[in-house]
Formats: sequence, C-alpha cells, structure tokens
Amino acid sequence: MHSNRLGWLLLAPTMIILFFFGVVPFFYVIWVSFHQWNPFAANPNMVFNWASNYRQVVFDAQLLASLGVTFAFVFFAVVSELILGYLLAQAFMKDFPGKAFFRTIHTLPLIMAPIIVGSIWKLMTTPSIGIIPSLVQSWFGLDLNIGQSAAAAFITTVVMDVWHWTPLVTLSLIAALVSLPPDPFEQAQIDGANKRQIFWHITLPMIAPAVVATVFIRLMDALRTVDEVLMLTGGGPGSATRYIGVHIFKEVFPRTNYGYGSAISVVVLYMTIVICWLLYVGLIAPRNTRKG
Amino acid sequence: MANVKIDNVIKRYGAVQVMHGVNVDIEHGEFVVLVGPSGCGKSTLLRMLAGLEEISDGTISIGDKVVNDVSPKDRDIAMVFQSYALYPHKTVGENMGFPLKMAKRPKAEIDEKVGRAAKILDLAHLLDRFPKQLSGGQRQRVAMGRAIVRDPQVFLFDEPLSNLDAKLRVTMRVEIKELHQRLKTTIVYVTHDQIEAMTMADKIVVMRDGRVEQVGAPLHLYDYPSNVFVAGFIGSPSMNFLRGRIVSEGGAKQFASESGLRLPLPDTPAEVGAEVIYGIRPEHIGVGDAGIPVDVVVVEPTGSETQIFAKAGGDVIDAIVKDRISAAPGSQIHFVIDPANVHLFDAQTEQRI
Repeated sequence: MHSNRLGWLLLAPTMIILFFFGVVPFFYVIWVSFHQWNPFAANPNMVFNWASNYRQVVFDAQLLASLGVTFAFVFFAVVSELILGYLLAQAFMKDFPGKAFFRTIHTLPLIMAPIIVGSIWKLMTTPSIGIIPSLVQSWFGLDLNIGQSAAAAFITTVVMDVWHWTPLVTLSLIAALVSLPPDPFEQAQIDGANKRQIFWHITLPMIAPAVVATVFIRLMDALRTVDEVLMLTGGGPGSATRYIGVHIFKEVFPRTNYGYGSAISVVVLYMTIVICWLLYVGLIAPRNTRKG
Repeated sequence: MANVKIDNVIKRYGAVQVMHGVNVDIEHGEFVVLVGPSGCGKSTLLRMLAGLEEISDGTISIGDKVVNDVSPKDRDIAMVFQSYALYPHKTVGENMGFPLKMAKRPKAEIDEKVGRAAKILDLAHLLDRFPKQLSGGQRQRVAMGRAIVRDPQVFLFDEPLSNLDAKLRVTMRVEIKELHQRLKTTIVYVTHDQIEAMTMADKIVVMRDGRVEQVGAPLHLYDYPSNVFVAGFIGSPSMNFLRGRIVSEGGAKQFASESGLRLPLPDTPAEVGAEVIYGIRPEHIGVGDAGIPVDVVVVEPTGSETQIFAKAGGDVIDAIVKDRISAAPGSQIHFVIDPANVHLFDAQTEQRI
C-alpha cells in the first residue's frame, strides 16, 4: 500500500502537467469547435452554433485542396526519408575512417528548431541570392524560383523535410540493425539467398517493428508540419504548399477564426488516428495474429 | 554427396596467423568430427568450409572443385548453427522451405519435401508454429530439417547440441547419427565434446591452436594417441600422466616416476635413462590383492562403476573399476596395471614413443 502511494506521488507532477497541457487543451479545442468565435467579428463572443463549423469543413474546397497536397507531401517526404535513412543506416553499420564524426554531424539537423530550418532554407532558395538556385542554374540550366513555380516550391518543402528528419530515421534503423543477431544472415547466405533476397526475406521482416514505429512518428509529424513550410513558402505560391497545418494556422491566426480552426484541427486529428490505425491493422496486427 | 579436401589451409587475421597449414581429407559420405578445446580453430575451419570466412592460403575443394572463391550460396552445402539461426519471423514450415524457395522450386515440390523432412524429424504437427513457440530440442530439429530439405553435397554442423540439456543431447546424438546412416551425406561436425566425437564420428580430427594433432577413427585415437594432447583429450575421465624416466630393474625395463613410484612397462624401444611421460587410462587400472600399493583419497560410486582417486608416492592416480569397492579414504589398496595398456610419450616432444 505504502509503495503504491509513493508511486502515485512520484507520478503526480507528470500527470498534473499532462492534464493541464494535454487533456484540458484537447477538450477545450473540441468545445471551441462547436462555437462561432472570432474576436474581431461583429459579435466577438463565443456563440454556440452546433456543428456548423464541421458542416463548413465538408464544403471547404480550400481544405480539400490542402488535404491533397498534404498527403502528397507526407507520402514523398516519408518514403524518401525511409529509403535514404535505411541506406545511411547501412552505411553507418560499416567501418570507415571518420565514421563517428560523420555520424555526429549527420544528426545535427535533428536538433534544429523547425523555424530555423525554414529560415535557412528560405535564405538558400531565394532567387538571385540563394546558393541552391545558383547551383541548379549552373548544373542543370534551370531557373528555380519557389516563389513562382508550384512544383519547385512543393519539391523544395519535401527536400527540406527530408534534410531535417532523415537522421531520425537513420538513428532508429541503426539501433534496429545493431541489435539483429548475425546468425540468420549467415544462414540465409548458406541457404542460397542473394543480397536482394536477404533484404526482402530476412532484414526487412526483422527490422519491421522499428520501421513501422519510425513511420508512425514521421507520419504524425509530417501531417502537422507548420512552421518550416510557413517560413519557407508561406503556403504558396498560390496554395501549392498550403499543407493542412499551414491552412489551420492561416485560418486561426491571421483571420482569427478560432471556432472553424478548432473544427479543422479536430478533423485532422481524427484522420491522423484513422491513418495510423489503418497502418497498424495492415502492417503489425497480421504479424501478431498469425496462427500460432 | 561429395568428398571434401582441405589442403594446407592457413588463416590470418591481419598479422596474426591462427591456422597453420591444416590438411584434412574427407571421403564421400563420411561423418567427420572436428574436435578440440575452444579457440583451437575448429569453428573457423568449418566457417571457411561454408564460405563465411575467407581462406588466407591453401585450398578447400568440395567434390573435386576448388571453392575458395565460391560464395556460400553456390557451394551446395547446408549448415546447422549452434544457435540454430532460425528465422524468427517465419513459421517452422517457412523456415524449412526457405532454401528451396530461394532456389525458386515450385511450391508443390517445396511442400512435399518439407512435409517429408518434417515427418522424418517428427515436426509435422509444428509446421505452423513460430520458432519462439518451440522448445530447444524442437528448434534444433527445425534447423536440421532446413538442412536436409536441400539434399546438399555436405552438411556442416557447428556445435549443434551445445545448447541442449544433457538428456536431450544424448537423444539428438542418436538422431543425427541415424539421419546420417539414412541419408549417407558427407557430414562435417564441430564439437568440443569428445564423447560426441567418439560416439558419432567415422573419423575424428583433433585440433589444437590452429593445427591438426591427429586424424583417425575414434577407437584408433583411443588406442594409439599420437601425443600427450590427444591422449588427454580423448577418453573420459582423462588419462593419468606421470613424469619420470626409464630404469633397469634386474635386466627388465621399469618406469620410475619423479616421486619414486615404480610401474610396469610394455615392450618399448625407449632406452634406459630416457625421460618419458607414462600414460594409463583410469579404466585400464584394476584393483587387486597385490600390485602397486596406493592410499585412497576419494571414492566416487556411480552405481555402474566406481571411480577411485588414490595417492601413490606424490602422484594422484585416478582409476575406474566395474566392481563396487568400499575402501575408506586413507586405507591402502593395490592397483594393478596391465603393461599392454600403457602409453609412453617422449618427455620433451610429448610424442608417442
């Protein structure tokens, strides 16, 4: 009994913080989402308006467009990060001179605040002063202008996200690869598997739990990207990079449309949960429920 | 099925040479056991056979084809690891069928061969289980099943029984031997356990420090160990060794230990005065009314036999007799040695005389 009370006592600070910074805002957002609330509107007070914010969500063409580019962004970013992260993790599994040094500097993007990453990339991609348009011009003879070209802006945000978050994937895959026993790999060689077959039949299934966990983390993060993209493109040109997070930001802050912004947030949260659940059902659950 | 030839094989790690010109000839269908203490290079040699370690010098041939530069997957061998190396995410059936799947065999053939191997190894009811749901002995059998479905030229076993409990080890030993008699495939088997080597092998290769000490049939090694190391390694409990010299007693040669103990000698070319090591196996010492007087130190009855540790002069001698002897510690009994069972080794070179 005594040790039980001590346990709750030790947990209390965390629970209190989680309650005020997690649980309360969560329910507050849901509550706000059922109200008409714009402090700068004719009526600045919160007015309960049933589900009309949600009705508006369904008919918001801008939101649907936003969701489309968001899914494209998340897909390209997370897939590239996985592939690149795996290749880097394999490279770091081998010994080469300066390995520790390279491994350290390769993780540096991770410790940068997204707003800084956005600023740096904005500086690097500004036409006529940035290094990237200059290199693209001299190597490929192309004009890179993320302020004008929707495709260029989209690709740049993906590349920026890949630059920022691949090290996370690399680190978690290194951890997974290091902990693998060597024997099944030697056995697979003897069993006649070539490198490609070993990857698909042995390596990938054995690191699958780590891969899925990493995909979950990256998926949830990428779905709510705001600050980097807002800094780099402001969601433009047009609405080419107006990802869902940016869309919500623009509804809530410049337009002070708190009620509607909250409703979108709740919908996006729900979609994120559904996507993760689908991934879980598709990737992890079959492994656990196979006939045994 | 194939013969295997290991010809003057050398292994270096950087500047350190760990294997010094090993030669072993393995006949088609033979069961060869590589045995030796840990670190003797037996596992390295097996891994070189499998292609998992590079050969620094010399050649290894399987079926008259030099395989030095052939990758493991093209050597047509099967291996059973000490850890079994089962694929944890595959079922028993998938584990066993994996080599055939990699060889792109049709599914019907895979199912048929896996089914047959599972039947031989009594795994048929476990084909849908995962390795973590099996006992140690079952996992071991799955690893063997994966090896036999391939019908390879050579089986390699790397201490496959070390992780099993003593009782299961004996059972599996019999099963592996039976399997060999049924399949008649060449087997190279690594162990540090000389009992496994003695009971299973057609031919034993005793290794130490990256060298082959002796090659021969189990009973040949037991009867004619070529040096002190082999004599001590083969046989359990280990042979008694006494250091001393050959003396002449009334015209007949005798052995005199450093502590002054006199022991009978067989007909030997060793000259009087030569420094020798006298070897006699515990099971070749009898207890009689007359003979070498010894003081009993410890008596260990095991039911089927009795092990006696006794002091003679300054030397402790270990004897095993079939009779039940109830000698009290400290009492005096007499050991009887038949000179025909005595092994003599040169004290300097430790080679058999």
